[in-house]
Amino acid sequence: MTATETAPIRTTPPSAAAARPHDARRRRRHRPEPFTIASYLGVGAFGLVCLIPFWMVIAGSLTAESVLSQRGYSFWPDPFSVDAYATIFAGSRVWLSYGATIFITVVGTAIAVASTSGIAWVIARGLPWLSKPLAVFTYIPMLFTGGLVPMYILITQVLQLRNSWFAVILPLVIAPFLVFVQVSFFRGTPQEILDAARIDGAGELRVFFQIVLPLSKPVIAVIALFYAVTFWNEWFHALLFISEPAKYPLQLVLQNLITSVANAADLGTTTAAPVYAIRLAMTVITIGPILLAYPFAQRYFVKGLTLGASKG
Amino acid sequence: MEPPEHDTTSPLRLRTGGGETDTARQTPAKAKAPRSWRGRDYGLVILAAPAVILLVIFSYGPMAGLVVAFQDFNVADGVFGSPWAGFKNFEFFFTSGNAGRIMWNTLFLNVLFLAATLGAGVVLALMLNEIRGRVTKRFFQSVIFVPYFVSPIVVSIFLQAFLAGPGGRGGLVNDFLGMFALPELSWYTEPGPWPWILTVVKVWQLGGYMSVIFLAAITSIPEEVYEAGVIDGASRAQMAFRITVPLLKPTAAILLVLGVGRIFYGDFGTIYAIVGDNGTLFATTDVIDTYVFRALRTFGDFGTTAAIGLFQSVVGFVLVVIATLVQRRYARETSIL
Repeated sequence: MTATETAPIRTTPPSAAAARPHDARRRRRHRPEPFTIASYLGVGAFGLVCLIPFWMVIAGSLTAESVLSQRGYSFWPDPFSVDAYATIFAGSRVWLSYGATIFITVVGTAIAVASTSGIAWVIARGLPWLSKPLAVFTYIPMLFTGGLVPMYILITQVLQLRNSWFAVILPLVIAPFLVFVQVSFFRGTPQEILDAARIDGAGELRVFFQIVLPLSKPVIAVIALFYAVTFWNEWFHALLFISEPAKYPLQLVLQNLITSVANAADLGTTTAAPVYAIRLAMTVITIGPILLAYPFAQRYFVKGLTLGASKG
Repeated sequence: MEPPEHDTTSPLRLRTGGGETDTARQTPAKAKAPRSWRGRDYGLVILAAPAVILLVIFSYGPMAGLVVAFQDFNVADGVFGSPWAGFKNFEFFFTSGNAGRIMWNTLFLNVLFLAATLGAGVVLALMLNEIRGRVTKRFFQSVIFVPYFVSPIVVSIFLQAFLAGPGGRGGLVNDFLGMFALPELSWYTEPGPWPWILTVVKVWQLGGYMSVIFLAAITSIPEEVYEAGVIDGASRAQMAFRITVPLLKPTAAILLVLGVGRIFYGDFGTIYAIVGDNGTLFATTDVIDTYVFRALRTFGDFGTTAAIGLFQSVVGFVLVVIATLVQRRYARETSIL
């Protein structure tokens, strides 16, 4: 299932009805219509706008600090310099915050996928007195939230999770929206296979782990990616609950660089650090893994967003 | 099978299709469920337990914690020991003089964001739909989807590159204005243009995301619908705006309902990451969520901030229920998202 094929253009299976559109298509190939040309230009322009900021920041991070602060940003790093990266990686802070972000992302995604899959299957299972109440139970938090203050009191006073990475992870591990995405996928599990397993004496857990999960790899990939990006980009809870600089995740380090360029000096070992270039280099370091994983991940994201639609 | 029961959970049916717990597909499972349950198997309980526990603690717990809104909360006495304050916290907020401004900002910005991102999504989807060739189309789709992946913090740094260069220099936009001998603007001290700047940021970040949703809806439009148009010699533009756009209404309606439900929640991530504690911009950018956050951080005023949170939740809940009912009235057959 791809979102990239579209009805009006897709080659139709050979049939009588398809004859005319086919002619039309052939004609278009010779002389594209104005709207089609405008579309290419429009999408191309928007695409450029999407990418330019990334390039600006990458180019800026590779420019020597002296030039950067005098001439501002330019599209080509001249003179080329890796000082900013050298400074950042010489310090220990970046490694610590990478560690923090990786911990939050890996542990958070693992907990999130496990618990989301579990409840999604029970909802998809369709038992009227169990699945339906659970669906409502999962749906209510989408409509009504306690908000910042009770969460703050809960984490800091009741659970005493201040300065723990779990304060960042736990409030985000169940996204009701993703539960329902997964439910709609689980519903498509072939009933015959489940019946066969049950007749052979498989219990609920066995059915789930040995049949449902192996059949659901695509949706699990989708869910995992959504959660992973959420955790990688998380900074709000970190801002609230993590005050020890040694435990800052990447996004929070970056946020500190926005508030004050002076914080850039903390990253390296020397005080005479290239602060502006450091801010940009830190940005590149923060988004790097996401951009590297992107070509692989993007397909699944589109799939996840399309899951609901194809059901319609 | 059980139509009345079906109706009691009706708001659910709007959701991902996940709401529709009870259509044809579950009937076979239902038949044999009770026996396997009562007989021996607590497997389902084990599967659901982690999520249920997490939701109880981190979603329902804070809801219960909203009693703080009616308390004169102090940390030493905690949620259970703090004295009651009645509606004093609400009074304090609504008479403080800030309430009108931040509520207006929240609504105004959210309406702008919603209209702009939906509009951009539809237009981009229509344009993507014109692009021929799987590879080309996928390439463009991937490119415009990229901004969705970056955090608000990163967006903020991007924006600074354009509006404020390093070391107090002008930034790219001012360089550009300078090329045409237009006056430069000190963007970060000028509250006026910020609603529009933030809207551009939202479109940049969500345009691709929205277009994927709409393109999926376009893909599911049966081809026959267009055949009449082709026979009548309609141009591509006519087919896009006269056939495709009306057929996208249900999808747009659902996204709109979701958006309306969140309309009283300020976009904390984007706004706080970009504006931060820059007081000169508060006039146009301070929303309920950023206000609450600052109030909590600087004054540690739990009671008032919880009161605002409760007010937000209740209004949001009422709005989503109204929006759901209106949407169901006009487009009941829809089930995307």
